[in-house]
Amino acid sequence: MSLLHRIEHPDDALNWHGDMPTEGRYTAGIAGERFFREIKEKGQFLATVCLDCDITYMPPRLYCEECFSHLDEWVEVGSWGHVHTFTVVHRDLDNEPLSEPRILAFVTLDDADGGLVHYLDEIEPEDVYLGMRVEAVFRAEDERQGSISDIEYFRPV
Amino acid sequence: MIGDRVAVVGAGMTKFVRRAQETPKELAWEAAHLALRSCEMTIDDIDAIVIGTAPDAFDGVHMKSEYLSDGCGAWGKPVIRGYVGGGTGVFAAIQGWYHVASGLFDTVLVVCEEKMSSCRPHPQAAFLTIFDHTTERPLKPNLLWIFALEMNAYMNRYGLSKRDIATVSVKNKRNAADHPAAMLGDPDITVEDVLNSPVLAWPVQRLDVSPVTDGAVALVMSANHVARRVTDRPVWVEGVGWNLDTAYWTNRDLAYPVYVEEAARMAYDMAGISEPRKQIHIAEPYDPFDYKELHHLEGLMLFDRGEAPRAAADGVTQRDGDLPVCPSGGLLGVGNPIAAAGLMKVAEIFWQLRGEAGARQVPGNPKRGLAQAWGDLMQVGTVVVLGV
Ligand SMILES: [Zn+2]
Repeated sequence: MSLLHRIEHPDDALNWHGDMPTEGRYTAGIAGERFFREIKEKGQFLATVCLDCDITYMPPRLYCEECFSHLDEWVEVGSWGHVHTFTVVHRDLDNEPLSEPRILAFVTLDDADGGLVHYLDEIEPEDVYLGMRVEAVFRAEDERQGSISDIEYFRPV
Repeated sequence: MIGDRVAVVGAGMTKFVRRAQETPKELAWEAAHLALRSCEMTIDDIDAIVIGTAPDAFDGVHMKSEYLSDGCGAWGKPVIRGYVGGGTGVFAAIQGWYHVASGLFDTVLVVCEEKMSSCRPHPQAAFLTIFDHTTERPLKPNLLWIFALEMNAYMNRYGLSKRDIATVSVKNKRNAADHPAAMLGDPDITVEDVLNSPVLAWPVQRLDVSPVTDGAVALVMSANHVARRVTDRPVWVEGVGWNLDTAYWTNRDLAYPVYVEEAARMAYDMAGISEPRKQIHIAEPYDPFDYKELHHLEGLMLFDRGEAPRAAADGVTQRDGDLPVCPSGGLLGVGNPIAAAGLMKVAEIFWQLRGEAGARQVPGNPKRGLAQAWGDLMQVGTVVVLGV
């Protein structure tokens, strides 16, 4: 290799900085729009059901992934379930220590297939266990924006 | 030519729109669902999936085809994503062809999707990093630069005027007025409208350029024995070709797309075409800019170099002309959701050869047509020849 293996500091070689100055503006989609409006307006979850495949999609989907049919069977599903697995997060994206570790859990919902990844709170990390019963805590109605953050966290039942 | 004959047996597309509420997955599903329904097949009848989608930054999703996969019917199936920038849509059909021609699969669903409205402030910004980071980016380049320099080189080599080229934009936007999925169809547009539109980077003006678009298109391709079973009107893939020029746009002949010629030669050889001007009855060359349609028609050897503009002026490329070109309305009229736009061209040839193009149908029962796209670092040509 040429000079590079002797470079001790990035500025020892000529270099330029640049970025890709884009940002994304995402829509929730046809199924997602209805899902998030229901959370915002009523503080509850909706799912779509494929009767042929016996799958309840939560969050809801417009089509069945397995048989590819259009899904228009909507059902209300409860906001409770159990901890399928969890972790305790100690660092942020920039690798800085969090002021307080946060519990992140994959919650399987009782009335649906699949579930949500979200924060767990009102419990200490050492008390969490797999299979623990939990429920969603929604923000107050006037604070809800129609986004996944309208769920503040899950907590033990 | 290797393997068995490969047919296109179904096609579907979403409406092309400026801002879709659907997620990219939902757009892909809608097109795929329509394509399957058009040939009365279900996802269970499909052996493999080809996904075509252009820069990840457009939809704002890194690893976009993995994200799109369930909307493309890829659950539990072999899947591949091809990517050659703007050339992707036609290349996806080529990949669908070799999946089947290889003998590995009997049926392939090809899905192309793009949701450019996600990309803010403008999808242009996503292209900034295609320029050389040391020699070009410090100049703060805009993608239009390449096209403006290329268009000017083309105009000057053959003594063309802006008016000669604007006729393409007028033709395609008028053709698109008959397309139910089109975004920019306009039956009343005139050459003056194009010439009076704002200058973006001379000689490129607003109406010389296709729009930022959201949309998806899908094809069902199958082996001979399946095609015979599912339809009495299969459209055969007779030839495919693709070719890449140098990555340095400063080392290319900007007035002539030699990579398109090489791709066309490959496809014509496979199709046994020795006189393309007689044997190609209908063409969908890539038209993100009006001059590119002319440029590509020459690269495809359908007109002599520098002669395509005169043919366009004489009406040869009109829907009822001797060689209908972009009867769909093309990218300038239907819209330009990059990868989906390329596949839309293959779908248009499929519909035209089956006589299913409705108000867009060209007269005279065309028997053979071609679709072509262009992209990567503006140096790839992709060509598919279809016939009945
Ligand atoms: Zn299903």
